[in-house]
Order: sequence, then structure tokens, then C-alpha cells
Amino acid sequence: MAESSNTTRSLSLLVDKHVEYIKSLDKRQDELEYWMTEHLRISGIYWGLVALKLLDRDSALDKQQVIDYILSCQNTDGGFGGHCGHDSHLLYTMSAVQVLSMYGALDKIESSRVVDYVISLQDIETGEICGDEWGERDTRFAFIAVAILSFFGALSRLDSDRIVEYVVRSMNYDGGFGSGPGGESHAAQVYTCLACLAILGRLDVVDRERLSAWLAERQLPSGGFNGRPQKLEDVCYSWWVLSSLRILGRVHWVDCSRVCNFVLDAQEPDSGGIADRPGNVPDVYHTCFGIAGLSLAGYEDYPLKDVDPVYCMPIECIESSGLRSWINNVPKSWSQEKS
Amino acid sequence: MMHGKRRVAAKEPTQDEKEEARQQLEQYCALNSRVMDLKAQSVFTADALDATRQLLELNTELHTVWNYRRTIIKKLDAWKDTERRQKMLEQELEFLMKVIRNNIKSYWMWNHRMWALSLLPRATWRKELSLVDKLIGMDARNYHAWDYRRFVIARLKDTEDSDAVDEQEFAFTTAQINRDCANHSAWHNRSKLLPAILTRVDQQRREEVLQTENELIQNAIYTDPEDQNAWLYYDWLLDIQKSDEDRIRLLHNKIAAIRELLELEEDGKRPLVELVSGFAELGRLQPGSVTDAEKEECMEILRTLKGVDSYHAGRYADMSSTLSKRWNVSDLCV
Repeated sequence: MAESSNTTRSLSLLVDKHVEYIKSLDKRQDELEYWMTEHLRISGIYWGLVALKLLDRDSALDKQQVIDYILSCQNTDGGFGGHCGHDSHLLYTMSAVQVLSMYGALDKIESSRVVDYVISLQDIETGEICGDEWGERDTRFAFIAVAILSFFGALSRLDSDRIVEYVVRSMNYDGGFGSGPGGESHAAQVYTCLACLAILGRLDVVDRERLSAWLAERQLPSGGFNGRPQKLEDVCYSWWVLSSLRILGRVHWVDCSRVCNFVLDAQEPDSGGIADRPGNVPDVYHTCFGIAGLSLAGYEDYPLKDVDPVYCMPIECIESSGLRSWINNVPKSWSQEKS
Repeated sequence: MMHGKRRVAAKEPTQDEKEEARQQLEQYCALNSRVMDLKAQSVFTADALDATRQLLELNTELHTVWNYRRTIIKKLDAWKDTERRQKMLEQELEFLMKVIRNNIKSYWMWNHRMWALSLLPRATWRKELSLVDKLIGMDARNYHAWDYRRFVIARLKDTEDSDAVDEQEFAFTTAQINRDCANHSAWHNRSKLLPAILTRVDQQRREEVLQTENELIQNAIYTDPEDQNAWLYYDWLLDIQKSDEDRIRLLHNKIAAIRELLELEEDGKRPLVELVSGFAELGRLQPGSVTDAEKEECMEILRTLKGVDSYHAGRYADMSSTLSKRWNVSDLCV
């Protein structure tokens, strides 16, 4: 196996730079990119806030201003758009709920309206969950629906047996999961399916050995992970693969120090932020998943907060929401090898 | 999200470049505001439709604008007339062909295409399939193209002989694997097609089909023994056997094939892991069938692998620990 060039260098996490980078994101109104990404601003805030929380530097954002903004994105159907005036979608509703939860501000919204919105998106015939009223189906949305309802203690409103059946139908010969029945395995879809099953307490349906082996093979000589065989490594898979392995209790099946080096090497040394790969332009998405990946990999040179592998939020937030109980529902035969 | 955009050394832009960037930004923002205003005012006209086209050509990721575009289309007079609707949706497909070049990975764009085709009075699924062929020809692993292919095939099966379409798709995966035996997308799709094909054939034909699968796997593992796909497919073939007897037979074949391969590939890492898991599975299905010498060989292999493949040392240690307990032999990884 080829030695990665970065194992010889000692890299550190550029905490102050990343904080400054995230703070600067809302002040880049002279850049086209700022306006081109308006439609997912609410997710941008979620990624930024998770990164700051894990760095224990969330005071860098104005909490009240963020909460007011999030509330302004809720539509009359109960869902949230990615920005004021944009249509509702589960992707952005999830980000809104996660941000409000991290700020302890879920009581600022009428929970029944959000819950009703989510319930309206389940196809009663197939158990599948649609992303919005236009009907796109994806295992990502099954996870999101389950996760959102768990925040409001409303899981019983959903036909969860049908969701489990749907996730099982999306399982493949390699043990992984695709975007739906028939879809090819992909590490990010694997994460969403495992997280969905974890919340529903149904990880027993997973082929743990085969899937863990497939995930472990995602690590490349650079230390980074790819999302599918023969694809390039990317910092965001540090999260998708490690969170999946954590849920499976098998983080020790990969080399965590090498993935840390890969993520650190993808930092932008001057203006902060983390890119998809070393040498590329950073963005807040990869900054979030890079730091969350470091937290899961046990990065030791900075006291990062522990991240929950199911909700991608600090464990302390998940504990205070009473949602850490998923860990008690992991199959008993797995627990003896928990990493 | 930025994927694959290289960082370049900061160079002060010229006055002209700054001016150009400023104009570009102003134009984008003006167009965006115009479209969002039209939407807020519930304007459903051909002009509004054209404004969404201009904006989506600049940014495929605006799902709200795609939604608005669909709403407009369904409210135009032309929608009510089948012929005019056919023409309008055909134009929509042409527009999407233009946009696809900007961002083939846009989920919203693919959704819009599926929507347009689903409502096209006379959909041409064969034409759609040749488009997907072209896309896969350019990028044999494109996730969206394969997902879209399965969507098109499902529709095609509604209008043509379903079994024949399956056979064609199966042949398509064979061709893809023969071109590149590491094509995970093709192996995957094959695994989705094979079970239906096996249920339709008699016992003799079943054995012939499985024999072909075996040959395809052998070919792949000889071409690239370290590639994971064919090995995983091998394991999956075990799962779909009808009886343990068949599984045991297949496992013996697998072990024999690995032994042969190892004579050529002494340093092979994956063939060694596969040998160990082959024996582990054989021992599970048929207790007593793995000899003491074979057990010790497995433990020795895991010890060696733990040393040479440090990335996966944890996995080898776990396998070693499990087998040492099951077989009551020494764990050499501790």
C-alpha cells in the first residue's frame, strides 16, 4: 500500500481560521457564489452551526438572528424552504429542525404543522417518503422523515414497518443501500439508511459483516474515503463512511489517523474552511463534514465535541433532546464489539 | 457545494475582470428577483416560463424554480390540447438536454425530465434509452445515469415484452463488465436482474446460467484480484443458492479457485482474506469440514495481513478473534 505523502507532515486543525471562515459566509454578498447558493442557505447555516458547535465556538453566530431567519423560511404547508420565499422540501425542513434543536428553540414552531407536513409526504401504498409535493422518492427522505418526527416524539404517526420494508428493498448484494429499490450502493445513502434504521430500532435487518467490509474498503491510500468503488476520495465521505461504521460499531476497521491527515490536508491554510480534496476551494458543507469526521475519527490535538453518528449533531444536544436512546436499540450481538 | 474546484493562487483581477464579474452578478440577481416576484404574484404566462428557462440555464439547483416552471406549463392553454402538449413537452426535453451539460449531477433536473416524460402523450422510451446509453458511454459509473436507466427500463417493460427487456439489460451489464470488470454499477445492476431470470428457467438452464456467472467472476478475479466487486458478487451468489448443499459445492469451487489464483498472485491481499472467509463459511455450513491445518493456515494468514495491510488491521484482528473462539485455536493477532 502506497504511503500517503501527508503522513510525514504534522498538520493541525486551524480552528480560528475555520471560525472566521464560517462567520464570513454571510458577508460575501459581492460574490456570485453567495447568490447562486441562496436556495440552500438554511442548510448552509446547519453545516456552519454543527462545525462551530463541534469546535465549541458557536458564539460566533448571532443566535437570535439565526432563529428569526429560520422561522422566516417556514411556509404555510408547515415545511421549510431553503430560503425565504422558496418552496418547502424535506431537505430544508430537516436543516431547520436541526438548527432550532441545537439552539433549544423547537418550541418556537408549532410542532403539529411540521409533523403534519412530514406525514403528508408518505406514500401509503408503498411506504416510501417523498421529498416534497412533487413526489421525488429517495431513501434520504425516509431517514429525514423519521429523524424529524423523532424530534417531536411523533414517530407513531408514521407507518414505520412500511419504511423498514422500503429500506430493506433498497439493500444490495454488497450489503449497502441505494437511493431506492434497485439503486446502487453509495456511502451517503448507506448512512441515511442506517441512521433511519437506528432511530426505528431495526438495525437487525442489516448484514453487518458484509456492509462493514464494503465500507472499510472505501478508504484509499491517501487516507480519505470514496463513496463507491473506483471513485475519488472526498472529505465528505469521512463523515458518511465513519458515521456508518460507528453505527455498525466498526470504526476500528479503518485507519483513523490517516483519515485525520487527509481532512487536515484539505484545509484552506489562509482563509480557513475545508475543501473536498487537498488543494481545492473550501465550502461550508465540506467544512462541516470534515470536522464531524475528525470528531468520529478521534482527532486528539483539539478537544472537539463528540458528534452523534445518527443525527450529525453534538451528542450533548442529542442527549438533551432525549434522542440518544437509539444506542440502546442496537442489536445485542453487536454491542460486545462496539468501538 | 464545491466539488473538484482547484484553488488557484490569488491574483488581483484587472479592472475589466472586476467589471465583468460585477455585471454578471447584477444580471443573475436581477433575473432571480424577477422570477421570484413573478412566482409570488402567481403569474403563469409564456413570458414567465421563458424567465425560468433563462434562470435555470444559469443555475440548475433552484428546485423552487423547477417547481414553478412545471406549474406554469400545466396552466398554459397548450396543456389542454394533446398535440400541443406533446410538442411543448418535447421542447421541454430539448431544453433539458441543454441544461444537462451544465450539471449532469443535478437531482432536480433529472426529476424534471422524469416528470416531463411521464406526462408526454406519446413517450418514446427507446429514444430515452439510447440517450442513457450515450451518457453511460461517456461516464460508465454515473450514478444519476444508472438510476435514470432503471427508471426508463421500468417504463419500457410496461410497453414491450418484459422478459426480453430484462435479457437485453442483462446482456448490457455483461458488455459493461467485459469492458471494465471493476464497474460496480454494472455488477450491481446484474445482481438486480439475475434473480428474475433464474426464476424463469428450468433446472438445466439454471445451471448453465450460474456456470456463466462463475466464469464471469473467475475472469474478473484473475484480471484484478484486488478489486472487491466480483468477490462480493461471489458471496451474493452463495446467498441465492437454493440449498446448503449447493452453497457448499460453490464454496469448494471458490476455495479451489483461490488456491489456483494464489499460485500466480503470491502477494494478493484480497484472495487471502477471501480464502479465510471461505473456510469460515464452509465451517459454519458444514461443521467439521475444515481441517486443523486449514484452520491454522487461516490464523496465520490473518496475522500476516494485519502486518502488511495496516489500514484494515482492526478487521483482521476481529476476524481472528472470532475464528479462534469458534475453532478453538490460538489467536495470532493479539
